[in-house]
Amino acid sequence: MIESRLKKVLTMGRFAVTAECGPPKGADPEVVRKKGSLLKGFVDSVNVTDNQTGVVRLSSLASCAILRREGLDPVLQMVTRDRNRIALQSDVLGASALGIRNILCLSGDHQGLGNQPEAKGVFDLDSVQLLKVVREMRDKGIVLGGDALSSVPDLFIGAVENPFGDPMSYRAARLAKKVRAGAEFVQTQCVYNLPRFKAFMTEVTDKGLDKKVAVLAGITPLKSVRMAEYMAKSVAGIDVPEEVIDRLKGVPAGQQRAEGIRIAVETIEALKGIKGVRGVHIMAIEWEEAVPELVEKAGLLPRPEG
Amino acid sequence: MESRTTRFSTTIFFCRQIDPDENTNRRALEKEYGGAIRFFPLPCSGRIEAQHLLKAIEAGAEKVYLVTCPEGACRYCEGNVRAKKRLEYAQGLLKEVGLPAERLQVTRAAGPLPVSIDALTRALLGLPKSA
Amino acid sequence: MISAERKPFEEIKASISRYKKVLIVGCGTCVAECAAGGEKEVALLASQLRIDASREGSKIEFKEMTLDRQCVYEFIDQVTPVADKYDVILSLGCGAGVQAMAEVLPKVHIVPALNTTAIAETREAGVWLEDCRGCGDCKLDSFADICPITRCAKGLFNGPCGGSKEGRCEADPDSPCAWQLILTRLEETGRLASLDEIYPPANWAKQQGKGPRKIVREDQRA
Repeated sequence: MIESRLKKVLTMGRFAVTAECGPPKGADPEVVRKKGSLLKGFVDSVNVTDNQTGVVRLSSLASCAILRREGLDPVLQMVTRDRNRIALQSDVLGASALGIRNILCLSGDHQGLGNQPEAKGVFDLDSVQLLKVVREMRDKGIVLGGDALSSVPDLFIGAVENPFGDPMSYRAARLAKKVRAGAEFVQTQCVYNLPRFKAFMTEVTDKGLDKKVAVLAGITPLKSVRMAEYMAKSVAGIDVPEEVIDRLKGVPAGQQRAEGIRIAVETIEALKGIKGVRGVHIMAIEWEEAVPELVEKAGLLPRPEG
Repeated sequence: MESRTTRFSTTIFFCRQIDPDENTNRRALEKEYGGAIRFFPLPCSGRIEAQHLLKAIEAGAEKVYLVTCPEGACRYCEGNVRAKKRLEYAQGLLKEVGLPAERLQVTRAAGPLPVSIDALTRALLGLPKSA
Repeated sequence: MISAERKPFEEIKASISRYKKVLIVGCGTCVAECAAGGEKEVALLASQLRIDASREGSKIEFKEMTLDRQCVYEFIDQVTPVADKYDVILSLGCGAGVQAMAEVLPKVHIVPALNTTAIAETREAGVWLEDCRGCGDCKLDSFADICPITRCAKGLFNGPCGGSKEGRCEADPDSPCAWQLILTRLEETGRLASLDEIYPPANWAKQQGKGPRKIVREDQRA
């Protein structure tokens, strides 16, 4: 009986660690296997992104199946940008059938941003509606419209939240809505601005949401000043404070990666102490090799047995 | 000195506020150059439409001028600003058919007003002063 | 109104280049409002085509006509008696105008000169902004009169995505985030709580249905 390791770790009351794995722009499963083996033993579960930023990549569903076979606990990221409700519900059943036990429901980056800008953006459902659909498939055994399923999917259901997106005032309310729709865990956008994140978590706990949903704070270690500046300026919804960029500027180029890891470790230490934060989600895009070092230095090893 | 205008025709749209006596003042040039110079007074240069400019080109004008009031002097405040935008739009349409934008030209009368349309035109086209 | 933009000149020219007698037909309603296909625009296009023809020494002739509305047969009937004098009709109507003319004059080659885009408002002089996508199931009342399908790039119904930055849209920084607009308006009118409700999936069958939508009113029929 395959179970969600992420759910188990959280239920045990342990601080969870998940990481992200970006599939290749190609058909070679070995690339996915290699990334998986880098992370095995250092994280509880591995997210696979779904054609992130609208760039065609090996599908999240296939990648999760590959990781599953390698003994990892994958989190299927499912965006509503590319598929209608028929395909989405079908893939939910498919994921469960392949032994995938975690799903993350998102709207997805706009198709204009990627390498298929002329594609039709589907958005038949939005992320909140998808959460509700998946929840009802699992808990009520029905698809949208009420038809009964012959057997229900077994999935731990997650959503994303961006504490740094505008409008700031609405973010905790939006999280509440996602929880009501069915979210059981949430992974946030990467945190560099701790005071602002703390303010968000205060709102979350004030609303009692921490009792209903497990918040995993996002962490993306910075590789260089250029990366930090790029993220601060060009990526929507990311807040990189000047002090962080200055810290990186203060060390020679060859030491910036190490400093980036140091900043990430400090952030994780701080996050451990914030009420309502039940774990971290490490998004070391195209730097998956950094995850083991980061997890170790943050004192998060060993991971619980799965 | 052979006048440029004997070789090609020129159409001049201009704002009547520049020269309240334009009806009289433009006659000398019209007589001197026959149909080679045509004047079209406007109540305000902002009343120009792209269509007027294109029709002038269609009718054979080699060069079309739009003369506006000096900056800040437009009686209707923004007419001269609008005039420039509309001329630029018309230039875009000419470029689409392979004609150079220079076929149309907007120019501001040098203040203070009033200025004789006769003197203004002679200066603009490099024509000899009137006898 | 229905907004449209004139096609690039070269494309229009190529579409009628093999003909000798062209009737350019405009429309005095929506496309006149958005300065794409009204009487003025017909005159401008005709001038351009004539200037171009004379430069190339081509003998093609252009005549102009503008109907009150190109989507109503009563007005198209003004074209019927003269249609056979021309080889082609270049229509500056919206997609409905072009097709309606073709219904009335099926033997005539009718060529569109506009790209029809959207249902829009005149936001200010010279600026036309898309407001409605004709979903057939108007929900504006639930969204403070700001259509999430049309004005949110992702058509979200339950709040902004994570990419909303300083009130701007992730997909187009020149566009405001529709959800920011909705939230602001709801907040200002004390209706923010209405967003707590999970807005259910839309019925897209009302938009896509089984093909072109048709409205029939027996009381209006002859």
